[in-house]
Amino acid sequence: MTALAEQGQGTRRALGVDWGNIVLNAYIGFFFLYLFVPLGIMVLAAFNANDTPSVSDWRGFTLQWFTGAENQAGEVTVRGLPQDTRFLQGLWHSLLIALGVICISIPLGLSGALLLTRLESRASTLLYTLLVSPMLMPGIVLGVSTMIFWRDMFGVEAGLFTAMIAQSVFIGSYCMLMFMARLQRQDRALEEAGFDLGASSFLVFRRITLPFLGPTIATAAVIAFLQSIENYNTTFFAIGGNWTLVTEIGARMRFGLSPVVNAIGVIFVAITIVAAVSYVLLKRRRDQRILALRG
Amino acid sequence: MHSLYRSYGAVLASLFLGLVALWLVALIALPQLNMIERAFVYESRGGAAIQSQVDIDRIYQRIYTIEYDIDALRDQAEGEVAIGVAPGAKIGEDNTAGVGIAVPSATVSSGTIEEQIAALETEAGGLKAQLVDLEVEETRLLEEKEAASGYSLRNFTTMSSLHLRIFGMTLVYSFCVTLICFVVCYPIAYTVAQTANRERAAMLMLGLLIPYAINELLRIFAWTMILANEGMLNTTLDALGLIDMAQGEPIRWLASNGAVFCVMVYAYILFMVFPIYNTIETLDRNQIEASKDLGASLIRTHLRVVLPYAKPGIAVGSIMTFMLAAGSIAVPGLVGPGLHPDWFSQVIYRNFFEAGNWNIGSAYSLALLAACTGFILVNMLVFRVGIRDIAK
Repeated sequence: MTALAEQGQGTRRALGVDWGNIVLNAYIGFFFLYLFVPLGIMVLAAFNANDTPSVSDWRGFTLQWFTGAENQAGEVTVRGLPQDTRFLQGLWHSLLIALGVICISIPLGLSGALLLTRLESRASTLLYTLLVSPMLMPGIVLGVSTMIFWRDMFGVEAGLFTAMIAQSVFIGSYCMLMFMARLQRQDRALEEAGFDLGASSFLVFRRITLPFLGPTIATAAVIAFLQSIENYNTTFFAIGGNWTLVTEIGARMRFGLSPVVNAIGVIFVAITIVAAVSYVLLKRRRDQRILALRG
Repeated sequence: MHSLYRSYGAVLASLFLGLVALWLVALIALPQLNMIERAFVYESRGGAAIQSQVDIDRIYQRIYTIEYDIDALRDQAEGEVAIGVAPGAKIGEDNTAGVGIAVPSATVSSGTIEEQIAALETEAGGLKAQLVDLEVEETRLLEEKEAASGYSLRNFTTMSSLHLRIFGMTLVYSFCVTLICFVVCYPIAYTVAQTANRERAAMLMLGLLIPYAINELLRIFAWTMILANEGMLNTTLDALGLIDMAQGEPIRWLASNGAVFCVMVYAYILFMVFPIYNTIETLDRNQIEASKDLGASLIRTHLRVVLPYAKPGIAVGSIMTFMLAAGSIAVPGLVGPGLHPDWFSQVIYRNFFEAGNWNIGSAYSLALLAACTGFILVNMLVFRVGIRDIAK
């Protein structure tokens, strides 16, 4: 009986799903082509010895956009990445801002999460709404309001500092959500046990809560770093006359396309692929371990 | 609150409270309030008042010149009277004539000295009368400027019909981008989330993660390369013989709103995929099986089982996509800049960095913020989700 039922189900699936599956697979195939072909073109054009980034007008394979080129007299003939001081400086600015953002947004996010998980009144929802609101605001509004505020109140002109503050406002919200997710799985009994054994509240925080949050602090730092480096909208408005790597890419695109941007793109793509693959591998290994533990 | 103090002690709890307060007040609330205040303060450039001041100064100068001329002419006349010319009766006569005609001073020089003086005096009289009017007008303009500098809605009401249309179009386009993103990516999110094969699911996930993690600007850059006049799309069409680039007829893709639209869908679609994926992933596959076993069609299964379950994810995806699209400065600013009609974010940018009118800029960003907040609220109502479902 069961065998028959299974067989019946099997045939129905074979008949019913076949077409659907083909269409679905084709659709997914197209979708991934749509995602990757533009990126592939961008990567390919970085190796083309053509002044304007292109793949259709191929002028030979070159690495000159990555390395630059000099003639025998030592004069720069092709401006590649190493000669492009604005990009390098922009990268430095990006790193400085990202570091600042990590230092600001993690304490803010952690405090917010600790407060909200302990708050059991109606005010909690209001506070929660206010603290996550920067995530839901358009980036340009954040950039604009921060820029005006710091100039009106403290006479601070837009620059790296205001960009860092503006980014921290919403990256802090992301960090807070990550910490809250972690804290929801916390076993309060451990803290209670610490108190019962005579530990001070500070010791309990340092030896129990903080180690429990440790992995999340690391993840939040990585996410904050990436968000900060990648951010364009907010930074663009808050940074004034200064620039980061990403705003500089934007500025270059406005004045025409340059293969040096492709070269940067290749580096970004390479780093991303390595990071994403290792993330997926790590996650799978962890999942397998959990499965193995469950037996 | 009490629980916070009990768990972490006075010092740490105060530190946490202080940090949250700092974040809430100094980083979130005050900057927004400051922007809102600016939005409601009309910054009068006082153009009309300044103009009337200039006019008044010019008239004073003219009157002074005329009086100087009259004095000079009188001196001259006295000299001539001494010689015995110019009887007094003639002066009175010409005076009346002068009042009637109001001869311009430039042509007066042809008449007798008395005529000239009379004409000049008439002009001075006229100017003085004008001056009174102008000074009244100036006080009125200055008062108006004072009054306008208070709180008012003028920053919004002076929004030109062009800007209003751009605002409306931005919202409509953003909504369309959101809708298209949802339609395109729902099957993808569903498939990736419900793939039973772990290897395959991991590969699909990787395929989504990589483009998602690559910078927005680079994704836009890749598309600009394709859509450029000498780009991939035109050369492909040329190779297929559909257009002839040698004849100089490349299609100017970048110069259209459609290009902005396409690139935007590409740039923000993954912000729709992941939230939907996250919710569908937790859906028990047995529910779908049960629905199928009970004879529901594919569409019915999705309408009755999967979609209702995925509501929070759809809400989050829509909110993120809409917010990114409406506030996007990168896509409209970098895809064929200046070749297509403006996006609202560009109008805001210009008010801040080109026109230097920060108050109008603030008003416009407030309008954008209000529109996005409205969209979030509508989404929360339609999908019946709370703020905690949206941001988690």
